[in-house]
Amino acid sequence: MSPTVWATNTPTALKAYGGALVELARERPEIVCIGADLTGPTETDLFRDTIPERFFNIGMAEANAIGVAAGMARAGEIPFVNTFSVFASRRAFDQIAMQVAYPQANVKIAGFMPGLTTPGGVTHQAIEDLALMRALPNMAVVEPADANQIHAAVHALADHRGPVYMRLKRGEVPVMSSAAGQAFEIGRAYLVREGSDAVIFACGLMVTLAIDAAEELAREGRDVAVVNVSTLKPLERELIIEIAAQTGHVVTAENHSIIGGLGSAVAETLSEAGIRCRYARVGIADTFAEGASAAYLFQKYGLTTQAIVDACRRLGDGAPARAAHRPVTRA
Amino acid sequence: MSGADLTMAASPAAAPARTLERLDAGVEEVRRRADAIRRQVLRTVARVGEGYLLQALGAADIFAALYFSELRLDPANPHDPRRDRCLLCTAHNSVVLYATLAERGYFPAQELESYGQDGSPYEIIGSEQVRGVEGTFGSLGQGLSVAIGFALSARLRETRSRTYAILGDGEMQEGQTWEAAMAAAAYRLDNLCLVVDLNGMQVEGAIDSVLPLGEVAAKWRAFGWAVQEIDGHDVGELLRALAIARDTAGRPSAIVATTIPGHPISFLRGRFEHYAKLSPQQAQDALAELDASASSNASFASTTPSPRKEPA
Repeated sequence: MSPTVWATNTPTALKAYGGALVELARERPEIVCIGADLTGPTETDLFRDTIPERFFNIGMAEANAIGVAAGMARAGEIPFVNTFSVFASRRAFDQIAMQVAYPQANVKIAGFMPGLTTPGGVTHQAIEDLALMRALPNMAVVEPADANQIHAAVHALADHRGPVYMRLKRGEVPVMSSAAGQAFEIGRAYLVREGSDAVIFACGLMVTLAIDAAEELAREGRDVAVVNVSTLKPLERELIIEIAAQTGHVVTAENHSIIGGLGSAVAETLSEAGIRCRYARVGIADTFAEGASAAYLFQKYGLTTQAIVDACRRLGDGAPARAAHRPVTRA
Repeated sequence: MSGADLTMAASPAAAPARTLERLDAGVEEVRRRADAIRRQVLRTVARVGEGYLLQALGAADIFAALYFSELRLDPANPHDPRRDRCLLCTAHNSVVLYATLAERGYFPAQELESYGQDGSPYEIIGSEQVRGVEGTFGSLGQGLSVAIGFALSARLRETRSRTYAILGDGEMQEGQTWEAAMAAAAYRLDNLCLVVDLNGMQVEGAIDSVLPLGEVAAKWRAFGWAVQEIDGHDVGELLRALAIARDTAGRPSAIVATTIPGHPISFLRGRFEHYAKLSPQQAQDALAELDASASSNASFASTTPSPRKEPA
């Protein structure tokens, strides 16, 4: 993986999720692992090989996998359903709404390869999963930023009674020193860098890029805070409102459509709280992408340190928040 | 919906000491209960004036056989983790489930007076708001998947709990049904029993005129299930089939039960209307027919013929 999907020189770790899930299941016999023919790509081969009696491969059938998980949860198990973000969200949305969210079934959905982290093309790129999951009543939505958070989140998901959707990159993931040893609390956002001129609210892979952007902006005298919003729902409103009010300049950064995800969630919160601020969203600008390397796609679709830096500069200079965003015009 | 209602999917409480055994009612008793269920369906739908009436009347024998003979349940403790689960996959048919649960003692039948009214938990297309309802399956094709989850968990926990699913035949057009069919066979879930209510009807009329299902029993057999084909109005056949399913090892069971919408009411039987009108006079006439047949059954119980079998 080219380092452009996280900040240069960021240390990385492998398979943080797969190891954490086995560790959790050894402690708690009600943990079951449900997959849909993506055992290796969801890091659950270790679970399959060490606790086979609680591993259920349902085959290429995500709708059924969600229903099976819901039934097991109703009987007292804590199922972790593992598939790609795109299939969990687009393909099994009604099943998740009716069999998981509505009855508050204790099902944890781990969606891998979020946003543009996959070369699989539009069929494999979940660019609206946060929007969909956020809209479901009773559903908590999290996106950990690094290996430490992924490990801690697996335990937090099991401790949380009710449905959770977690999106995460598989395989190699960044390791942030700021998150080392920290518990993962569902519903908390983490201030990872203080600043008084502007704030970047970021989630997932965009967090190390946001920190990188803040450091670059510091070199030109802009003092920018970074908040890791690792829970998109429920959002930690107080922290977001407080920092936005203090800085007056807000940039959100997400590996997701700018519609319905982190940018929308923060904007909703600030508008309702009556916070006046300048605002810009960095993310996928209401477009489908294509199959290519993650590094190429992050660059092409503006999920970069530079894009975050530019957004902060535009706000600071009083320029329009989204210079590149053209309004829709009638022919 | 209140917060308390939303705790249904939570982990079950500790097992109580009450015993949990099958009622094992005989044929006559199950028939009597089926008629009582039909009366309750008629009274309930009559208040609204229309409803999923015909399929409810058609399925009453299946529900009576399950709830008054086969299932291990405790109406006083509907969340007993040791219970058998029975999932009505086709929640459009909820009125027959409500009538059955009332007859079985889950709640007083008077509560059904609010059926279909604003603010009532007894919705036309039901949800798990109602005591004894095991899930929310108005979005068709999802129930069997959840049933598999119950069955897998029962096996994991080494409990006697069996899982039953009642599936409308029109619902087999939903592809998820076949995802579930494959999975149940792959996991050799012999603690799972499916009853296909083959009434031949869907929203737009006869299934054969919309999207024919082909050979239903052969399909389930081909997916690896142990299949029995029966007359869904022959209580003796129903009870035997359920017993055979209970004794079947290594495979899930499917009982393909042919039923006739509206059975046995003379002026409703065999009509294909998914949401039928029922005037007060029609309801009265139907109830009178049931009363008449009950008294004749009482006199000639041993010679009462099985309902005529008709093609799906």
